[in-house]
Amino acid sequence: MKKKKMVISQETMDVDFVRKVEALADTSVRRCFQCGKCSAGCPMATFMEHPPNRVVRLLQLGQWRRVLEGRSIWYCASCETCSTRCPNKVQLASIMDALRKLSWDAEGPSKESYVQLANKLFLQNIRTYGRQYEMRLAAVFNVKSGQFLKDLMLGPKLLAKGKLKMFHSKNKNLSEIEKIFTRIEEMRKKGEAL
Amino acid sequence: MSRIGVFICHCGENISRTVDVERVASEIGKHPGVAFSTDYKYMCSDPGQTLLKKAIQEQKLTHIVVAACSPRMHEKTFRKAVEAAGLNPFLCEMANIREHCSWVHENREEATLKAIDIVGMMVERVKKNRILPTITVPVTKRSLVIGGGIAGIQAALDIADCGHEVILVEREPSIGGHMAQLSETFPTLDCSQCIMTPKMVDVANHPKIKLYTYSEIELVEGYIGNFQVTIKKKARSVDEDKCTGCGVCMTKCPQKKIPNKFDQNIGMRTAIYVPFPQAVPNTPVIDRENCTWFKTGKCGICQKVCGPGAVDFEQQDRLIVEAVGAIVVATGFDLYSIAEKPKGSPIKGYGEFGHGKIPDVIDGMTFERLASASGPTGGRILRPSDGKEPKQIVFIQCIGSRAREKGISYCSKVCCMYTAKHTMLYHHKVHDGQAYVFFMDARTPGKSYDEFWRRSIEEEEAVYIRGMVSRLYQKGDKIVVMGSDIAVGVQVEIEADMVVLATAVMPQKGADTLAQKLGISYDKYHFYSEAHAKLRPVECATAGIYLAGACQGPKDIPETVSQASAAAAKVMTLFSKDKLEREPIVARVREIGCVGCFACKKVCAYGAIEEKEIRDRQGNLIKVVAYVNPGVCAGCGTCQATCPSKSVELDGYTDEQIVAMIEAL
Repeated sequence: MKKKKMVISQETMDVDFVRKVEALADTSVRRCFQCGKCSAGCPMATFMEHPPNRVVRLLQLGQWRRVLEGRSIWYCASCETCSTRCPNKVQLASIMDALRKLSWDAEGPSKESYVQLANKLFLQNIRTYGRQYEMRLAAVFNVKSGQFLKDLMLGPKLLAKGKLKMFHSKNKNLSEIEKIFTRIEEMRKKGEAL
Repeated sequence: MSRIGVFICHCGENISRTVDVERVASEIGKHPGVAFSTDYKYMCSDPGQTLLKKAIQEQKLTHIVVAACSPRMHEKTFRKAVEAAGLNPFLCEMANIREHCSWVHENREEATLKAIDIVGMMVERVKKNRILPTITVPVTKRSLVIGGGIAGIQAALDIADCGHEVILVEREPSIGGHMAQLSETFPTLDCSQCIMTPKMVDVANHPKIKLYTYSEIELVEGYIGNFQVTIKKKARSVDEDKCTGCGVCMTKCPQKKIPNKFDQNIGMRTAIYVPFPQAVPNTPVIDRENCTWFKTGKCGICQKVCGPGAVDFEQQDRLIVEAVGAIVVATGFDLYSIAEKPKGSPIKGYGEFGHGKIPDVIDGMTFERLASASGPTGGRILRPSDGKEPKQIVFIQCIGSRAREKGISYCSKVCCMYTAKHTMLYHHKVHDGQAYVFFMDARTPGKSYDEFWRRSIEEEEAVYIRGMVSRLYQKGDKIVVMGSDIAVGVQVEIEADMVVLATAVMPQKGADTLAQKLGISYDKYHFYSEAHAKLRPVECATAGIYLAGACQGPKDIPETVSQASAAAAKVMTLFSKDKLEREPIVARVREIGCVGCFACKKVCAYGAIEEKEIRDRQGNLIKVVAYVNPGVCAGCGTCQATCPSKSVELDGYTDEQIVAMIEAL
């Protein structure tokens, strides 16, 4: 990833977004003094372009876009080692959770990320069938993400073991499930839910 | 014939691990003149000392050698023990077989042989030791305090409260020093003036304190307990006895645009002025360089309007001589300015910060004056260039400090804390503003200090960016600050309205000249050196002179006050006796051999050598010889080494003794 210069001002530091993260995670990023203990113990840090301490640092500077551009929040396994060991009680695992939640509506490149796409398709399937239809999920994901042959060879094996069904089966109470979705959508419109 | 006792110490295992102490004791027992020798686990302990005392009495010993650690460590201990046993303490010597032998060797056999040699040498030397009487000098129970900042004020008040007279000398027209300039103080944010000015008034009203402001030290003569100090009282042009401090002269003075040094030159003052309204004494001074009368011989308005007739254009500098017994040096610090490169300064300058040419790049002290309620802006943070309130303010730490190649290698110690305080003051005064701090490390050791720093970030919303600023330049009415955030690993750019530099704390200008007058040592930055960094931190190596405050090194207010009180306590210790006892390890001149070349006088760092006339019975001058004042001599031996006619001997280290030691090898 290209390292862009950071121009800092009251405008470029989006404090409102960070406040939202803090409220959701019930913690404060300002408490962090960058000791690096979270990154030292993180089992996934080697995969992240922004290790956990840097995620907090970027939030301190209101640079959340840089965080969401990357995949760090998706690599987080929510093992909570960071939160447990933090000397300042910065609940980093909760912050990661909050960031993942907020990334749903956030502007920017996270919208196009595969994780976000997979999540969307997953929920669409639930809404349509009342349960997961893996074949469709995999097929649509591959088409939409442009990786047509991704994991194709796993298909026959999974089929043979009965892990993957050729045809879907619908949930009997589909209307109840639809109610859940519509209720959440309304709540989101009113700002009562994320 | 001397009966020498030798006592070998094991020092736990420190010595006995590598040196066969029993063998040393038995070998040295055969040495001519040695009547008794033994070894013990801890010679310095109570049973060890008892052993020594008992041996002196039972064996009727005349000289003692203790083979143990360095004399720096325990010479005093053993000499005291010897004295208690009835011998002259200077008949006891120490042979260092720890630092000089056991600690630096591994081979037991060779180390043991070396230890025997070392002890043998000291035995030969102690044979030639003379009984030395302790030197006593009288003590004048008055003290001089140089510098009227918080350090000087505290020391003066403490000494004066004990009932001894104090002479407080201040270079500026008012006492108060830098602390009077500050707005609020960390870590409690109490107003500096509120805690400082009452102390200033106490000084002025104290019956035991004689205050000389606008005065400088001209000459220091004498030695511990007996200093003669010449003070130059500069012409104030205002009679202190007549002036009532009404201030009419200042309102009428036509020269109104002179930058006030007290306000870091951002506020203006008149030619007849007091530096700040709460000044002590509240007597104005005429700045002769800027006064119309002194420049052209016309004007004289202040003299006309002065009711009591206190203005005196004819006043001259006066020299006053005071006799004192102790001196407390509290000359304080000065801030490095990136605008100038002081002559001989180690600092190379900051071209990348515009060499101080950008008007809205100010230093920490200037920010203090802006934030001070009694400052030129009445406590509002305003830009010096256009008087606007800065909405984006950048603080940069470690300017000059901690930059070996750039300037100086030490840490200025107070900047981290005062910058945290500045961000708070700024946040309190400019609610819609944002403060940024570029820093390398936050150094906050001190009671409630780290909590204070964290508060500036967590509650007062200062944004701290770890990483230094590479360059800053003017762009329109903004200052572009180019730095980096090393936690993120990217470059950072901020368009600031104002930049505050935490410039290095340096000693007062002229600190070296004063040190030369006092005969005290200083480091390469001109900070004064203490006698021992840990165990004698407030005393100078020169006896009778004590240090307080930032003249010794960067210090904050609590530390300065502690040290000032400590210096006062040291002065009181000195004053607690009528006569002062000193070690008689001093140089003596054999007058018969002295040719009066005074090479010794030139090399003496302590000013201990005087000229003495020798006359016959009729009063005819025979010759002038050197005389060592035993009260001043520190026993360094430089004169002994210098004397071309070998006429100076240092008691306890005579040539005869040294030769005896060499021959014993």
